[in-house]
Amino acid sequence: MACVYIPVQNSEEEVRVALDMLPRDAADILDILKAEQAPLDLWLIIAREYFKQGKVEQFRQILEEGSGPEIDEYYSDVRYERIAILNALGAYYSYLGKIETKQREKEEHFILATQYYNKASRIDMHEPSTWVGKGQLLLAKGDVEQAFAAFKIVLDGDRDNVPALLGQACVEFNRGRYSESLELYKRALIVHPRCPAAVRLGIGLCRYKLGQFDKARQAFARVLQLDPENAEALVALAITDLHTNEAAGIRKGMEKMQRAFEIYPYCAMALNYLANHFFFTGQHFLVEQLTETALAVTNHGPTKAHSYYNLARSYHSKGDYEKAGLYYMASVKEINKPYEFIFPYYGLGQVQLKLGDLRSAQSNFDKVLEIYPDNCETLKALGHIYVQLGQTEKAQEFMRKATKIDPRDSQAFFELGELLISSDTGAALDAFKTARSLLKKGGQEVPIELLNNIGVLHFERGEFELAEQSFKEALGDGVWLPFIEGSEKFQEIDASASVLQYKDRQLFHRLEDSGRHVELPWNKVTPLFNLARLQEQLHNAETASILYRLILYKYPDYVDAYLRLAAIAKARNNVQLSIELVHDALKVNDKCPNALSMLGELELKNDDWVKAKETFRAASDATDGKDSYATLSLGNWNYFAAIRNEKRNPKLEATHLEKAKELYTRVLLQHPANLYAADGAGVVLAEKGHFDVSKDIFTQVQEAASGNIFVQMPDVWINLAHVYFAQGNFSLAVKMYQNCLRKFYYNTDSQILLYLARTYYEAEQWQDCKKTLLRAIHLAPSNYTLRFDAGVTLQKFSASTLQKTKKTADEVRSTIAELENAVRLFSQLSAASNLHFHGFDEKKIDTHIDYCKNVLAAAKPHLEAAIREEQQIRQRQEVARQHALAEEASRKAEEQRKFQLERRKQEDELKRVRQQEEHFQRIKEQWKSSTPGSKRRERSEIDDEEGGNSEKKKRKGGKKRKKDKSSKSRYETEEAEADMMDDQEDVEDEDANLNYREPTGQNDQDDAEENAHDPLAAAGLEDSDAEDDMAAPSSTTGRRRRAWSESDDDEPLERQPLSRENSPELRDSDEEVKDEGRRPNGLDAAEDED
Amino acid sequence: MKLAGLKSVENAHDESVWATTWVPATETRPALLMTGSLDETVKLWGSDELVLERTNTGHSLGVSSVAAHPSGLIGASASLDSFVRVFDVDTNATIATLESPPSEVWQLRFNPEGSTLAVAGGGSASITLWDTATWGLVATLPIPRPEGPKPSDKSGSKKFVLSVAWSPDGRRLACGSMDGTISVFDVARAKFLHHLEGHFMPVRSLVYSPVEPRLLFSASDDAHVHMYDSEKKSLVGAMSGHASWVLSLDVSPDGQALATGSSDRTVRLWDLNMRAAVQTMSNHTDQVWGVAFRPPGGTGVRSGRLASVSDDKSISLYDYS
Repeated sequence: MACVYIPVQNSEEEVRVALDMLPRDAADILDILKAEQAPLDLWLIIAREYFKQGKVEQFRQILEEGSGPEIDEYYSDVRYERIAILNALGAYYSYLGKIETKQREKEEHFILATQYYNKASRIDMHEPSTWVGKGQLLLAKGDVEQAFAAFKIVLDGDRDNVPALLGQACVEFNRGRYSESLELYKRALIVHPRCPAAVRLGIGLCRYKLGQFDKARQAFARVLQLDPENAEALVALAITDLHTNEAAGIRKGMEKMQRAFEIYPYCAMALNYLANHFFFTGQHFLVEQLTETALAVTNHGPTKAHSYYNLARSYHSKGDYEKAGLYYMASVKEINKPYEFIFPYYGLGQVQLKLGDLRSAQSNFDKVLEIYPDNCETLKALGHIYVQLGQTEKAQEFMRKATKIDPRDSQAFFELGELLISSDTGAALDAFKTARSLLKKGGQEVPIELLNNIGVLHFERGEFELAEQSFKEALGDGVWLPFIEGSEKFQEIDASASVLQYKDRQLFHRLEDSGRHVELPWNKVTPLFNLARLQEQLHNAETASILYRLILYKYPDYVDAYLRLAAIAKARNNVQLSIELVHDALKVNDKCPNALSMLGELELKNDDWVKAKETFRAASDATDGKDSYATLSLGNWNYFAAIRNEKRNPKLEATHLEKAKELYTRVLLQHPANLYAADGAGVVLAEKGHFDVSKDIFTQVQEAASGNIFVQMPDVWINLAHVYFAQGNFSLAVKMYQNCLRKFYYNTDSQILLYLARTYYEAEQWQDCKKTLLRAIHLAPSNYTLRFDAGVTLQKFSASTLQKTKKTADEVRSTIAELENAVRLFSQLSAASNLHFHGFDEKKIDTHIDYCKNVLAAAKPHLEAAIREEQQIRQRQEVARQHALAEEASRKAEEQRKFQLERRKQEDELKRVRQQEEHFQRIKEQWKSSTPGSKRRERSEIDDEEGGNSEKKKRKGGKKRKKDKSSKSRYETEEAEADMMDDQEDVEDEDANLNYREPTGQNDQDDAEENAHDPLAAAGLEDSDAEDDMAAPSSTTGRRRRAWSESDDDEPLERQPLSRENSPELRDSDEEVKDEGRRPNGLDAAEDED
Repeated sequence: MKLAGLKSVENAHDESVWATTWVPATETRPALLMTGSLDETVKLWGSDELVLERTNTGHSLGVSSVAAHPSGLIGASASLDSFVRVFDVDTNATIATLESPPSEVWQLRFNPEGSTLAVAGGGSASITLWDTATWGLVATLPIPRPEGPKPSDKSGSKKFVLSVAWSPDGRRLACGSMDGTISVFDVARAKFLHHLEGHFMPVRSLVYSPVEPRLLFSASDDAHVHMYDSEKKSLVGAMSGHASWVLSLDVSPDGQALATGSSDRTVRLWDLNMRAAVQTMSNHTDQVWGVAFRPPGGTGVRSGRLASVSDDKSISLYDYS
């Protein structure tokens, strides 16, 4: 039993004080010490003993007494012991300050400690132990650099000062200079081999930090050997065990951790690790308890960060994002250097993402990424954030990086694919496919959404078979299979009921009745819908309709399926059924803008203008005017309204056009890439005569529209062609019409054929015009207007042929044949008119018949003349031939006679022959020139000058605008745009009347007449001249004239609205694309009420 | 069942070929293929090599339909100028020229006995029947106008008759119109029986099954082929698959297969048991206006033949087996 002996003053006796039996009251001892004037080292020993026994109060009491002014006075020469006492007190307060958690008290302790050390220094400023103490104090205060200086002073004096070595090692450790720290610890151990286990702990920690885990473990093990109760070493060992990442290691680690906890329940580190463990085992209650304890016992920032993190994580996993966020935040606050402990940033980022604070989340993830630039999860998270912030390119960049770093992360590929959908479908498809093959390789089930997306992308790229495979894979086995494969037989239905076929869902009832289970899991509805959509695209409308009906049978609220069925019915012209289906859709959601828009289309188709407008309005209102489709429909409505009326009301027309333009522009402002709005704007511009601008627009739209199977814009082709036509570029217009017909309509659209015929007509390609019209009749037999037009064309052709100055008998013959055809066509129309097949005026037709008959009569002389002429030519040729033969014979005779005599004369002779031939040539020309004479005669027979002139005047008055135009557009093609505008209005007029406009230029006939008019009027007027020329047979002129001008006015047939806009396919692509990724309904009805 | 291309004649006509039919074999010659075109001619083609036998002229404005008498001796062709020309197939001698203004003429069909020629009358909303012995007009079968206050305006053109078909027993006559309805007549009583509904777009071609007298097939612009039981007034089946108008159809002599020609430039072969397309021929480059199976009979000709004609001016011949 250790004891000290206090020498009794002035005697040899000593007071024996057993150290384990120190009195409770320190004053007793103090009395003795003071009374016996015991050496100061005894004071210190006793104080230290108290301290060891945990009697801190007594310890303090003795030392404070031992450092009081009395002692200073009395023991003034005992320097070392006094310093020792002061240092002890300093160390004590340093320690108090170190463990104190309350800032104010903490500082007070440090101040006291500083005071004691300063006092010690005053006694001897070179005492190393004071410096060591000061160093420790500074270290405790976190003032690493000053601590370093303090220890350095000591070590400079004595490089083997163990406490200073240890202190300095600690400093170096804190500065992160682990190898230096390790050296210092080692030196301390060499100098003092039996130093406390803690030194080895330091070595272990250094080794650990240096990554020498085995040596670290050895060091910790050695510590435990020396001091089995050393909690820190236990914790350290446990951590190394845990980090082995093996089940056995972790279990061992946890056991150690638990032991450490049992030894010393307030080791924050151990508490954190235990909490961590229980987090993973899911015992959140323990996690909270442990971390709260840890937080209470430690002041160490990083450890606290760890504790907060554990707590946050616990709440996070429980879904309490608010609390989790707060604790993450607290954790982050404790961290000075994010690279030391980054997890809370990640967690905070996650929680903020969850709570929608994208910017903060982004900055936190950015921090994580700074430290772990290759962390896939972080990259993906950032990718997500950028998507939501609308920075797709950045998002893609991150996702791409994530997939590059971990090329086996199917999830990353999946997400990358979703990102790419809107920008680069090809790349998106590749990403999805990679994800799919990764999943398949890993033996995992491929999610339905992934397969659906792959299908949709294939679909969009027109790879229908692949799309079908993918959708089928997504669907798997089910009640739909027999329908898709067609093995389920069609149910016989009454033909009159077949009208409502697409509403019939009886077959599923029957299936159920027959014991089949009709099941459709919710997550398969989308792929099924898409498959149906695909079947539609593949023209298997029947299969598609059954699939849509199956969806509706199980999910009667699936609006898009109704709409698709309605679209199928509409494509088959079953308007009534289509309307009913749309109404079914509206029953589900009476504000559904798609359904409303479609209803409007159908009403328009039924010629229900007012209703249609209301419906479009409703559609527009339902979306606060944000739905481009509804707005465009309204625009189209206005446009149609503008050009609808045959008797145009210029004022109304202008209003409607203006309104249409406004609506198109509104859409363009919202979606600058909306092709249909651009097209519409182009149309309005063209209507107003800005052809160059509209041409540019159409060309761009056409380019943009190519390459997407969902964007079919034949209208823009037609519009372009119309513009070419209006600008007189007929060959281009023809090409454009033809391409459009072939590309979009399988050559079945008689309306475009009519446009084409009209162009040929203008270009005076009569045969092409006729053939084109015949094709159109063949396609649309009940369109009598086409027959009328064909008749007009034949009539025109004949007239122009007869006007030709040179024509063969065959030409005249074919002309006559065509005239007879024309008469037949008109007569049929005339006969049919009393049956009300068509809306023509009988009188008008009769006029045409009369006219044709007259021309026919007039043509007979032409024919005779032509035949006569041909005969004459033949006769002359015969005569000439015989003449030449005779000449030849005589020449030969002459030659033979003179051959031997006058060879030299031969050349002269030849010359003469040549002269004779020239003469012959002249004669021939004379014969020919007699032909026009006969023609002129002909005309004078039929020409009624008087009538022609009066006609001229009348037309000049009534149709001035038209004339102006035709002359301008022909002769002043380089006019500025301002003029173009005027012209254009006239083009419209003229378009309506095109039948009778005579292309100028060709008919240079009577010079006198032509010169009589000023150049401007000439071109236009000539046209009537030409008509009169051929039309003028006799007394009926007046009546006919009237009839003609009438037909000019309300000729419905050749009217060619400059542009035709099919709204049906208007669904804007932007919206569609947007939907595709997330909502797997990529291909919903939305995009195509066609 | 399957089709195998045998021979194609490019530029068989100068213009679009719009109609085709087989002229049955006679005792003196095998069956011939007859085609009519926009170029205003009718041509006759012999053997599997499609040798041009004769070119008949005399039409104006394009030949829209051709028909052959079951005897194989008489042919008829109709053109857009609304004349029907009846001629001797082997000599091209004109037998008669038929017209019944104001009706136009569209599809022509001889009845199975060969006693009557039925002509689809277009806007007159009727079928005209001509006696093949006297070439006099036997009857006009009008489609009853739907009841309604205004029989005028559009309804007239809606019932525009495009196509006709005789039932194999010759007792029924069906006609297809622009509005998609099919009307069935009792020939003996010259009486309208009922409509078959389901199409809402022009029905350009109709044909009865040669083996099931009630089964009627219709081809419509709605890209569908319907199968009706023409007596029960019921829709037996609907087949989709063409991308555009179905312009013409014909049933194989064995009644097992259906061939269709479409604006989508293809010829499809359908298995009537499976009710599914089994083959798609895409050798034409434009609308296929006519398809026709060669009727059985003739000297030693057993194998099946299908001919198709198109806007691309060509004729194609296939082996059907």
